[in-house]
Amino acid sequence: MGNLFGWLVTFFLLITLLAIISYQLMCFADLEFDYINPYDSAARINMVVMPEFVIQAVFCLVSLMTGHSFMCFLSLPYLYYNFRSYKRRRHLIDVAEIYNQLNWEKKQRLMKLGYLIILLVIFIFWLLWTVGNDDY
Amino acid sequence: MGTENPGRPNFPMRPSSTPFASALPTMTPFSSRGPMVGSEASNIRPIPPGAPPTMTPFSSAGSSPPTRFSDPSVPSPPITSVPSAGGPFQQYPTPPFPSTVQTTPTRAPPVGQPPFQPPANQISAPPVSFRPQSQVPPVPMVSAPQTVNFPPSSLNVPQPPSESLFSGPRPNFQPTLPPPDLSYSTTKSTFQPPFPAYPSKQPAVSQVPSPFPAQQGSFMPPPPASSSPFSSQQGSYVPPPPIAAPLGYQSRDQMQHPGSAPPIGGIQTLTEDFSSLSLASMPGSIEPGLDYRTLPRPLDGDVEPSSFVEMYPMNCDPRYLRLTTSAIPNSQSLVSRWHLPLGAVVCPLAEAPEGEEVPVINFASTGIIRCRRCRTYVNPYVTFTDAGRKWRCNICSLLNDVPGEYFANLDATGRRIDLDQRPELIKGSVEFVAPTEYMVRPPMPPLYFFLIDVSISAVRSGMIEVVAQTVRSCLDELPGFPRTQIGFITFDSTIHFYNMKSSLMQPQMMVVSDLDDIFVPLPDDLLVNLSESRNVVETFLDSLPSMFQDNVNVESAFGPALKAAFMVMSQLGGKLLIFQNTLPSLGVGRLKLRGDDLRVYGTDKEHILRLPEDPFYKQMAADLTKYQIGVNVYAFSDKYTDIASLGTLAKYTGGQVYYYPSFQSGIHGEKLRHELARDLTRETAWEAVMRIRCGKGIRFTSYHGNFMLRSTDLLALPAVDCDKAYAMQLSLEETLLTTQTVYFQVALLYTASCGERRIRVHTAAAAIVTDLGEMYRQADTGAIVSLFCRLAIEKTLTNKLDDARNSLQVRIVKALREYRNLYAVQHRLGARMIYPESLKFLCLYGLALSKSVPLKGGYADAQLDERCAAGFTMMALPVKKLLKLLYPSLIRIDESLLKPSAQADDFKNIMKRLPLVAESLDSRGLYIYDDGFRFIIWFGRMLSPDIAGNLLGPDFAAELSRVTLHQHDNEMSRRLMGMLKKLRESDPSYYQLSYLVRQGEQPREGLLLLVNLLEDQMGGTSGYVDWIMQIHRQVQQNA
Repeated sequence: MGNLFGWLVTFFLLITLLAIISYQLMCFADLEFDYINPYDSAARINMVVMPEFVIQAVFCLVSLMTGHSFMCFLSLPYLYYNFRSYKRRRHLIDVAEIYNQLNWEKKQRLMKLGYLIILLVIFIFWLLWTVGNDDY
Repeated sequence: MGTENPGRPNFPMRPSSTPFASALPTMTPFSSRGPMVGSEASNIRPIPPGAPPTMTPFSSAGSSPPTRFSDPSVPSPPITSVPSAGGPFQQYPTPPFPSTVQTTPTRAPPVGQPPFQPPANQISAPPVSFRPQSQVPPVPMVSAPQTVNFPPSSLNVPQPPSESLFSGPRPNFQPTLPPPDLSYSTTKSTFQPPFPAYPSKQPAVSQVPSPFPAQQGSFMPPPPASSSPFSSQQGSYVPPPPIAAPLGYQSRDQMQHPGSAPPIGGIQTLTEDFSSLSLASMPGSIEPGLDYRTLPRPLDGDVEPSSFVEMYPMNCDPRYLRLTTSAIPNSQSLVSRWHLPLGAVVCPLAEAPEGEEVPVINFASTGIIRCRRCRTYVNPYVTFTDAGRKWRCNICSLLNDVPGEYFANLDATGRRIDLDQRPELIKGSVEFVAPTEYMVRPPMPPLYFFLIDVSISAVRSGMIEVVAQTVRSCLDELPGFPRTQIGFITFDSTIHFYNMKSSLMQPQMMVVSDLDDIFVPLPDDLLVNLSESRNVVETFLDSLPSMFQDNVNVESAFGPALKAAFMVMSQLGGKLLIFQNTLPSLGVGRLKLRGDDLRVYGTDKEHILRLPEDPFYKQMAADLTKYQIGVNVYAFSDKYTDIASLGTLAKYTGGQVYYYPSFQSGIHGEKLRHELARDLTRETAWEAVMRIRCGKGIRFTSYHGNFMLRSTDLLALPAVDCDKAYAMQLSLEETLLTTQTVYFQVALLYTASCGERRIRVHTAAAAIVTDLGEMYRQADTGAIVSLFCRLAIEKTLTNKLDDARNSLQVRIVKALREYRNLYAVQHRLGARMIYPESLKFLCLYGLALSKSVPLKGGYADAQLDERCAAGFTMMALPVKKLLKLLYPSLIRIDESLLKPSAQADDFKNIMKRLPLVAESLDSRGLYIYDDGFRFIIWFGRMLSPDIAGNLLGPDFAAELSRVTLHQHDNEMSRRLMGMLKKLRESDPSYYQLSYLVRQGEQPREGLLLLVNLLEDQMGGTSGYVDWIMQIHRQVQQNA
């Protein structure tokens, strides 16, 4: 049962991360089409950057604790990337330069999104696999 | 003609010290020659006498060498080919030769001369000898030309071995003669810029080719006599290439179709195609075969390309909008082969000369006519159809209805009958009065807010006093009377607010010392209407210097004070002038000393020093822009003040940074006074936004300058004025453009100081081309350099200085290589370096750029603050000023000071710019170096004591660093001051402070002047010649 709980927590964390990244991407899209101004857009995005980082770290931790060291291993690069950009103080969007950074920031988040989706797929397969195995 | 040695007599050389002066004289000789061409070789001789009086001293020297050389070269061609046909020789060849001489003289001069001078017949042998030196490849091309003019018979003439190569083509050439002429003249004309006096109409050029071969091969290092080679250079650089090109072309043609003459037009265009520099070295010499005197230099300053306005006469003036090339490529692949930036430089409020002001149009009830879909403003390029009831937008080609009030019938040609009463339909630049739809709030009044540092260093430097006096003296001239508002905050470790309510007799000072939680002590009356509170404001300014004269506070609570100012101003917006004398040390936004750690320089972390340290500054700048506040930063410290951080405030609010290192009111006071006064009184556009629209298929993608983007293509500019320019790059959205023309429209929506909301619209059209050569031909060096400059400076913010310089160089090389590839197949280029006429200064400006303050050298070459300040300044400079800063003028003035009757009208004549090399400086001369920001007056060691005494008065023997220039009671001094005044008037946006320096006074001389002679080699940086060689080498790699 504890195992299942671990699965659920990691699953929801993953979903949350996906949601946060998609939200940021939506903000960028809005900005690009001039639906919101750079000030609001930057404020909205910056608001969720730290939560994203924290949740990601928690995700790593939880998967490690619940014994999914492979999942943890897979998400380490992501963690390292976040950590590095935080150290360099590049994690927040800069209002003044937002348009110049737009392309790169969008690309970065799309990569993150793809990365998370792959993680999710692996996760689900693995979940089904273990569930199947439990039956025996 | 060959026999004559006209040059000789003149030859007597002058002391080599002032070779350059000769340049001027030479030009005149040319002109004289032009007309005479028809006559005989003799034409050439006259030169020396012909030289204008002004240049006299040098003229003889200068002119003579060229003539001499040219002679030889000239005769030579005829000689070789003609021997048999004496008759033709005289008729044809002679006339042309003179002209050729002018063009090509430099190259072959020394070598060629001797052989050729003897009568033609004998000559054949000599050429041979001399060929060997020449580079092989060029020869073939040339050969054809030589022979060209001569009758077939000439073919038989025994040619020196080398010539044999070419024998085939010759016969065919005769028909072509006329074309060469044309081409020749064209080349010349292009050539002109550097040498104004050069007459473009030159008589027959047909032989032109002939001299050429000789030169090419022979291209020698500067003639021995070099004293005044300049004239020769003129000819040498530009002309040869054009000539060569056509020749080569012709010869090929003819080979293919013997007997047929190439079409004239073709030749003409070909000749215009490119310019070149021959870089072959002479065998046996180590020196590069490049004479620095032959290199192109922008001694006439910035010349705006004329094609832009010529092709589309209704375009706005280039002072408002300049495209990097006025031929827009039609496909992505073409764009990718154009390695230079593709874009525009916009200076929306550029100062127009008297009589060319932008007309203001009020549509009143009609409303402003704009395209429904793309929102383009009505402009001269829209077309009216359907009997005047509809108009077609030129940018998106949508058919719009013409509003009833705007309707006018069309005449037979489809033009509106009221065209002459509608400036917006004739002029590229107009200003519309905007109705209320264009306002989000009532137009703001002009508002000036001063944030003044009163800590001890500010008091000691005398800055406060100068500022207070200047502001007081400008109160009458502040724009926007009677609505103008004004306010002050001073700060040291506390923040002082001033209540200036009009009912008060004296301003009330309120001190806030809680820096963590800033609040504004009064809701209003900190910002007051100037006309109502005039007395209080004056009292305040009068007492300000004395109020703090005993202040010993060393701290600076800059961040909190900035926040306070922001709170006071946020209701209205306006202009915030910050006077900062120390490093912010208290409260939010405090900064620490950076740049002390030498180990950081040259590493990947180096660029961080050029970025704002604290995110507070960027955030603050963004907020300031949001509330329509523009910031100008005046920094005065002698120590590190972190301009990188402070300047950020100006950068994102459309402001500018004035930096006066080690400010002392006694020395720099005048400069501050002038620049602050200009800042306060120049016409300013408030709460502005700017957008540039362009036709379908292309899009502006990146913007460079001091502003903040409010949406993808909208520049937010809280306060703009005539001294600010913005650059942008465009890219193609579609793979192929099918239209013929593309239109650009810059629209600046702003509040004028008078309280009217206005839209300034500049419209321009440019042709779409399918040919890369055309793009290069119509390139605009000024705009390209301006964009390069901004890109390079931006690059220094994320990379090492080295990387920024390299990428600049790589782009220049790539562009030239691409250009070379265009012609490499058609023409044997050999060791020549070719470039389009339009870009002849590109290499030089590239060099100047990599030696400019923001980019030059390593950490030791410029103080960090200085570097950053220069970077911020150059990011906003309009094209002309930038070019002047990059290639400053150096002017010799002692002669004109001595001349008895120097009148105002020959001011232009006096102001002849010299190349920036140490050789330009004659130790008997007096020179002004003017880069638009300062004057450096250089006293030669052997300058007559009279002049020095008259100009400096009793101080003339003192050390010049302590001497300031002021007027003495004698004619010479008055004349010098008049001259300086005129120079300053011609460029009023900054005040040029005079620095005096005497030759040999080290290290001052080195720091002030010598380091700025950018064509010279200076501690590890390459000189102009090396630079050209270097670029050329890189161009040839993988070419």
